[in-house]
Amino acid sequence: MKPGVIISILAIVLGGLLLIGAGRKEETAGPPDYIEWRIPAGWPKPANDIFAKNKLSEQGFQLGRKLFYDGRLSKDGNFPCASCHQQFGAFSSYDHDLSHGYNNTFTTRNAPPLFNLAWMPRLHWDGGVNHIEVQPLSPITAPNEMGENLDSVLLKLRRDTSYLRMFRAAFGTPEINSQRMLKALAQFTGSIVSANSKYDKVMRGEATFTYSEQNGYTFFKANCASCHPEPLFTDYSFRNIGLPVNEFLNDYGRMRITGDKKDSLKFKVPSLRNVALTFPYMHDGRFQSLNAVLDHYNGGIIVTQPTLDTLLRKRIPIAGRQKADLIYFLHTLSDTSMTKNPRFSGELKNFIH
Amino acid sequence: MRCRAYILLLLLTAAGSFANGQSAEPGLVKISFVNTVTGKPILLDSTVFTNPFSETYTITRFKYYISNLALTFPEGVFKELDSYHLVDQSNAQSLSFGFTALAGTYDGLVFLLGVDSLRNVSGAQSGALDPLNDMFWTWNTGYIMAKMEGRSPQSKLVNRKVEYHIGGFAGVNSVLKNIKLPFPVPVNVSAGKTTEIIIETDFAAWWQQPNELKISEHPVCSSPGELAKKIADNYSKMFRVRQIINP
Repeated sequence: MKPGVIISILAIVLGGLLLIGAGRKEETAGPPDYIEWRIPAGWPKPANDIFAKNKLSEQGFQLGRKLFYDGRLSKDGNFPCASCHQQFGAFSSYDHDLSHGYNNTFTTRNAPPLFNLAWMPRLHWDGGVNHIEVQPLSPITAPNEMGENLDSVLLKLRRDTSYLRMFRAAFGTPEINSQRMLKALAQFTGSIVSANSKYDKVMRGEATFTYSEQNGYTFFKANCASCHPEPLFTDYSFRNIGLPVNEFLNDYGRMRITGDKKDSLKFKVPSLRNVALTFPYMHDGRFQSLNAVLDHYNGGIIVTQPTLDTLLRKRIPIAGRQKADLIYFLHTLSDTSMTKNPRFSGELKNFIH
Repeated sequence: MRCRAYILLLLLTAAGSFANGQSAEPGLVKISFVNTVTGKPILLDSTVFTNPFSETYTITRFKYYISNLALTFPEGVFKELDSYHLVDQSNAQSLSFGFTALAGTYDGLVFLLGVDSLRNVSGAQSGALDPLNDMFWTWNTGYIMAKMEGRSPQSKLVNRKVEYHIGGFAGVNSVLKNIKLPFPVPVNVSAGKTTEIIIETDFAAWWQQPNELKISEHPVCSSPGELAKKIADNYSKMFRVRQIINP
């Protein structure tokens, strides 16, 4: 055999090997850049370790962020997760009692803010969802929210080569499936931590409360903290706080999930962190201001409801000055380092909210 | 998964406790499901069946989860690893599945009808448990363990619908059922060969024993609770081993 032929054969073989190598390279990626998940100093360990089987990585987080802001997760493209969960409102629906959904619909509950979800044992106002990863299935498929179905979402994502690249970077191969999409979303939403408000700075000795804020904090610890304990400002329990039933919504809360009459009218205790940014208040957004909320605790509680929380049987009397001080204190729970953190922001498009 | 099966095999070999002749050489076991109504095959959307209360109905969808399957022998069990299967009457491929098992003689089959509670609380799943399979409740997390949809003139619902979505995995609302099926003849699993176990279901079990449930009174069940538990008590008796095909 002539040397030239041998060289040609070698070249073909080597070229072939290179091609195979290149093909493989396109299929699989190396491990992503894992991120260490840190619990703020002095905070309890989360009830469920949401990143134990969904290892947090920069690529997974960035994919989750893209998905969170992508309207293609909704039927007509107008309702990304972020349409109801706006960063400037601590990821709640700013200034909306109920949120807008697909095809001129309304949701039936006030969109809760999203932060410190790693500590939340059950999601939704009625606790119907038991894991952060499966939560997005509910708004994506609800006809009055994103109005889509899962097959269709995955088809849309698979047509986008930037998603193929990002799924590959996050999970090793470009396969796009529901489990990966949900895990990526959980990496983003689960990473949103709010632990740097003025209150936190005061606790760390980096700032001081004003006279009014301190008075409000004292009142808070004596009257509110049994359901809204520090540092998360909720115990995540389900309680009835004596609101009259809205006759249009007829929402009995947790009873729908457990089927137990004892759970009638109970809703999850929300965190008070960022509460100044998350108006309107309550599960149906019925109160426009903190002032109105405190008026309810002071005089509005319907004490005859059988499932009313025992801590509220005598209501919570608040004198005028105390109310003002408490509201000053509640404003110290706003965390602009979270609501303005570019890491959690998206390329805001012109979607409906 | 294959790697884990291998490790298990090695462990079992090391233990060397196969009193009734199980050896470390694996064989194939194929489990097939034949869904019927009192022995009559189910043709979705077309066959008209009559229940014990003379109510007529057709079946448009029929799906159920089989999980945590194991073959039994007098001294123990051989467990299938990662054992989650969705049997779906509209998908012929789903009506049978295979796995490798230790060679030897087995006297029965056990499985969970439904998805164990752990997988109901562990976030996003894949494969048979992918929420794409339309067997997952998004508003009250949990799998639908068994689903029947159909139509009946006796139904008061819109379009004469009959719809049973049976789920609930926790506490008093659990509809999970452990099913034990003794084999009529010993099942032999031989190295490198296939043994087939054919299981017949009888959908008619859903209507009675112990709970008489008429379409006219209960055309729909779509949440965990008392009715779901009653239906599950009934349907837990729908399985029988129809045939063993030893190699």
